[in-house]
Amino acid sequence: MTVEQQDCVALDQFPVGMRVLAVDDDQTCLRILESLLHRCQYHVTTTNQAQKALELLRENKNKFDLVISDVDMPDMDGFKLLELVGLEMDLPVIMLSAHSDPKYVMKGVTHGACDYLLKPVRIEELKNIWQHVVRKNRGSNNGDKKDGSGNEGVANSDQNNGRANRKRKDQYNEDEDEERDDNDDPSSQKKPRVVWTVELHKKFVAAVNQLGFEKAMPKKILDLMNVEKLTRENVASHLQKFRLYLKRISGNQQAIMANSDLHFLQMSNGLDGFHHRPIPVGTGQFHGGAAAAGMRPFPPNGILGRLNTPSGMSGVRNLSSSPSSGMFLQNPTDLGKFHHVSSLPLNHIDGGNILQGLPMPLEFDQLQTNNNKSIIAGNSMAFPTFPAQQHSSLPNNNHLVLEGHPQAPPSAFPGHQINKRLEHWSNAVSSSSSTLPPPGQNSNSLISHQFDASSSSYSIPFCDSTIPLNPALDHTNPRAFYRATDMDSSANVQPGVYYDSLQMRKSGNYGPTTDAMLSSNNPKEGFTVGQQKLQSGFMGGEAGSLDDIVNSTMKQEQSQGDLSEGDLGYGGFSSLRTCI
Amino acid sequence: MELVQMQKSLQDYTKSLFLDGVLDSQFLQLQQLQDESNPDFVSQVVTLFFQDSDRILNDLSLSLDQQVVDFKKVDPHVHQLKGSSSSIGAQRVKNACVVFRSFCEQQNVEGCHRCLQQVKKEYYLVKNRLETLFKLEQQIVASGGMIPAMELGF
Repeated sequence: MTVEQQDCVALDQFPVGMRVLAVDDDQTCLRILESLLHRCQYHVTTTNQAQKALELLRENKNKFDLVISDVDMPDMDGFKLLELVGLEMDLPVIMLSAHSDPKYVMKGVTHGACDYLLKPVRIEELKNIWQHVVRKNRGSNNGDKKDGSGNEGVANSDQNNGRANRKRKDQYNEDEDEERDDNDDPSSQKKPRVVWTVELHKKFVAAVNQLGFEKAMPKKILDLMNVEKLTRENVASHLQKFRLYLKRISGNQQAIMANSDLHFLQMSNGLDGFHHRPIPVGTGQFHGGAAAAGMRPFPPNGILGRLNTPSGMSGVRNLSSSPSSGMFLQNPTDLGKFHHVSSLPLNHIDGGNILQGLPMPLEFDQLQTNNNKSIIAGNSMAFPTFPAQQHSSLPNNNHLVLEGHPQAPPSAFPGHQINKRLEHWSNAVSSSSSTLPPPGQNSNSLISHQFDASSSSYSIPFCDSTIPLNPALDHTNPRAFYRATDMDSSANVQPGVYYDSLQMRKSGNYGPTTDAMLSSNNPKEGFTVGQQKLQSGFMGGEAGSLDDIVNSTMKQEQSQGDLSEGDLGYGGFSSLRTCI
Repeated sequence: MELVQMQKSLQDYTKSLFLDGVLDSQFLQLQQLQDESNPDFVSQVVTLFFQDSDRILNDLSLSLDQQVVDFKKVDPHVHQLKGSSSSIGAQRVKNACVVFRSFCEQQNVEGCHRCLQQVKKEYYLVKNRLETLFKLEQQIVASGGMIPAMELGF
């Protein structure tokens, strides 16, 4: 039966005929679930592999209205699947588990599950699951599809909402999936939901990377993406979501960040080639876009796993190219939200570009903690040298020019670790930079300063050449780590490239994100880095922790409005995300 | 044996399983899902359960017999067994799994061994009973009778 027919039927009789995809590796449970769902008069498709489920979903987003998935599956963690589905397809997902432990339920919530059912599942519970489809549809739709919710939901979850008039043709028109997003209908109450499909997201990420994280402004991104009917607002909000996502992720990533910072830094620094980051991205495509930057869509789980564990972190690190990706995703809980952040594709993976805007913190932490793994050193980015020096408080000047003036420590900086790192970094920077605070300085203070939202301008010339940081650094793409942390608003900013970044920052030259970050005194803005205002996507330098970044991003989001102008918010944010 | 007698035997037998706690209401749900369009549902599901469980118990035995027990491997197995047993209503198996898991958490090898034994015991018990139950049903059907619906009054 054609989609239309199916939809029509579903539409007419919703919730009867609602199309459910059930995923559970336990065949006993799956069989029972299937039967129960049939009893509820739903149309059921089952699979015992999460991968297969993803394939089915990707093959045709409009084929299903709802997904029910077990949590513990051997081939892929249910939460990861949840995130991916939410991110890529935006379908309601219900988690199923024999675990009644509240922390699992919480995990489900944070990952975006619509509901969490305990095994053994009762039919009474399944009889009401259709409400989630309706709810989603209403959310995105301006509510005009209530009865058609089944329909809408069917077509594209709530993506098509807001396109009542187009629903018929668009709904069933899978080809237009991507374009639908673009059909922003200004007349809709709320902007028509743009469906950030994988392809679209990829374009988005590519555009951001191309522009450079800090320079990525919605308008420019939009131009680069060259997608018909996509508006700047769409892009801006996408960036915002991405940031949020990163923030979420970073929330838990503190520890990870530490390890991943290096990664991140690495990534940022030399990551230009990180596109190919070996991010363990499973199917990861965070909206498919992640890879765009070179960030291969990393499977949230993969990344998460990595981040959370030391090995994971190292995993991140190892990914020389994909430092951030791992980091971002780490946040399992955040991941859940991931799906909202379609832009997540952690552009930061792009390696340098994204990172540029990305809050360094992530990387930074790593550096700090890890003692800078040589990764940094390797990178042309400022970071490379950083690591080595990091732990020791960056003695050498060649370190990043962390100009972070010890400005008020960014309270928003969740990543203390990052701070520490920053300190090192700052120290290093300071040591290098003439006026920078002495390396001996508690990097924390440095960093904190940097992070200080108000200090906004401190640019951490991480990768910038300005600082006599490693030579490698110098040539690094100035933008790359340039954290525009005007530590002292220009004070010690080293002249030269580095400083430029700072300046740029102020002027918002750098990518949107950076600017946003920078300008937003909001410490949180611009991802932790915000304080630092990553100039050039210098993620690493910024906030030590992902949290910071996220926070920054969040803040940035607040100043999303600013994005318009500065567009930094997202830019940086996305890098953050990717960095992670 | 007369059909009516067989049917009565079946009912009594089933009831006893519930009263003994071997099966719980979840099993009833399964029975209710069985209908003309799904005539062998219960036996199909139970067969799947047996297959899965045999495999899991086997894996568990192997895992626990290792020199160094990897609880990270043991726990998911027990968890899965808990999930499937609860889904079909094998209450005692499920309960034994719950205890098993707590010993896993404590990384108590000795305790886990004991639990495994307990789980196996309960599992073979329910397997046995269900097989008997299905045989009774088959006899009834073979005799041209209908399987009496379970009374939920007990």
